[in-house]
Amino acid sequence: MLTGTLVNYYTHCRRQCWLFYHHINMEDNSEDVRIGRVLHELKKQDKKEIALEGIKLDKLTAEYVTEIKKSDADIPAAMAQLEYYLIVLRDKGIMRKGRLECIEKNKQNKSIHTLTLTEERMGELKKEYRSIEEFLNSDVPPPPPKIKPMCKKCAYFEYCFI
Amino acid sequence: MNSDTRYIFSTGELFQKDFSIVFRKEDGNIYFPVKDTRELYCFNEVTLSTKLMQLLAKAGIVVHFFGYYENYIGTFYPKEYLLSGRLTVAQALAYGNNRLTVAKPIVCGTAKNIHFVLYHYYRHGKSDLKEFLDWLHKSVPKLVDDTGDIKQLLRIEGAIWAGFYQTFREILPESFAMNKRVKRPPDNPINALISFGNTLLYTKTITEIYHTHLNQTISFLHEPAERRFSLSLDLSEVFKPILVYRTIFDCVNNRKITVEKHFNKSLNYALLNDAGRKTFIEAFDERLNQTFEHNTLKRRISFKQAIRLDGYKLIKYILEGKKFVPFCMEDKK
Repeated sequence: MLTGTLVNYYTHCRRQCWLFYHHINMEDNSEDVRIGRVLHELKKQDKKEIALEGIKLDKLTAEYVTEIKKSDADIPAAMAQLEYYLIVLRDKGIMRKGRLECIEKNKQNKSIHTLTLTEERMGELKKEYRSIEEFLNSDVPPPPPKIKPMCKKCAYFEYCFI
Repeated sequence: MNSDTRYIFSTGELFQKDFSIVFRKEDGNIYFPVKDTRELYCFNEVTLSTKLMQLLAKAGIVVHFFGYYENYIGTFYPKEYLLSGRLTVAQALAYGNNRLTVAKPIVCGTAKNIHFVLYHYYRHGKSDLKEFLDWLHKSVPKLVDDTGDIKQLLRIEGAIWAGFYQTFREILPESFAMNKRVKRPPDNPINALISFGNTLLYTKTITEIYHTHLNQTISFLHEPAERRFSLSLDLSEVFKPILVYRTIFDCVNNRKITVEKHFNKSLNYALLNDAGRKTFIEAFDERLNQTFEHNTLKRRISFKQAIRLDGYKLIKYILEGKKFVPFCMEDKK
């Protein structure tokens, strides 16, 4: 089954997505990941975390579903994750708009991004989710991409490029 | 270079205080912060409680125990935290279908790394080594290539090591000369060093494999039944020449370790004494933490990390079919 994290990874890096899904997760000593985890814990204390069917919502208000990220390093991936949340909720009859909060803004000049689902987009996404599921069931992961700057920070770096 | 391994040589008690590991010995307490500890080695009588083991397990700290005679007792192996059913199945299938594809490169890699170590001495005037060096370089790859079964491959491996031991009379002082490799228990100083060094490397490799998804019991060159954690025997093989033997040659030739001072006289010098053990471990640990620029990754890594990277290479072969080539000192990858 899909999860928000998987949808995020699929946008970010397909290889990471496949490996993660198959439980090939790496020992992670990265400071960024640790910060992310602590942030998540802190948010959890603020308000109750809402978890259902592969999604864990940082915040749910009358108007918005909010996802909180440490930084704006990969907005499209975070938005894809948010869209997935919106669709899962919508299937349960809960209509919301999406709101992405980035604690550090390094690339953009605003830290809050919002998004509204259209009927048309929903149809596209449903199709896309089916192809993600198909992709995850393939026997071999896609080969490592050409080294990109973002790879150097990734926990899979050594595994991918050894 | 910082080491995340703690070696305990004195007798005492290990326990948890707050979130640290404390070692209480006669002359006071030592604190090991959990965050920078990956591995503990106990070489003496140490008392510890299950409460501490809970902390060790949670933090993923592996503990290796040794007995009075440097004999390896066993490892406290915390619950696995990296598990992938898919990989385990694939590893077992690889053993069944492609055992030689993994085992052969290990034997070739060992020959290459022995060649690397000996070539240093050849260049410095030990011209008698030429014949053996040529054999390693030219004949071994062909012999390995032509081999169709594991028994034959193991015989080649045996011949490589036997030839290597023969060269010791060229490169070591007479007091450390070796006639024959004798194990369990070793019968003279050089055999004692080899046994101890190999065991240390075996345990280090266990710790590195612990931090991968590989199954420790499914090995390729060695029979999976040989030892409990036989994959560690496989992956440590190519590192023996460059880590264990180079440490031995360095300690012996630079007189850091001598027969009179560092071995147990009452046991016919067949065992290191406390001072010898400490000196050897210090030299070994330093080498393990030495860093170099990795040729594929283009970043600095330590030899200890190189062991884990070989684990990753094996995973990549098992999962994605990428050819398995273990660490080679000459290529630095």
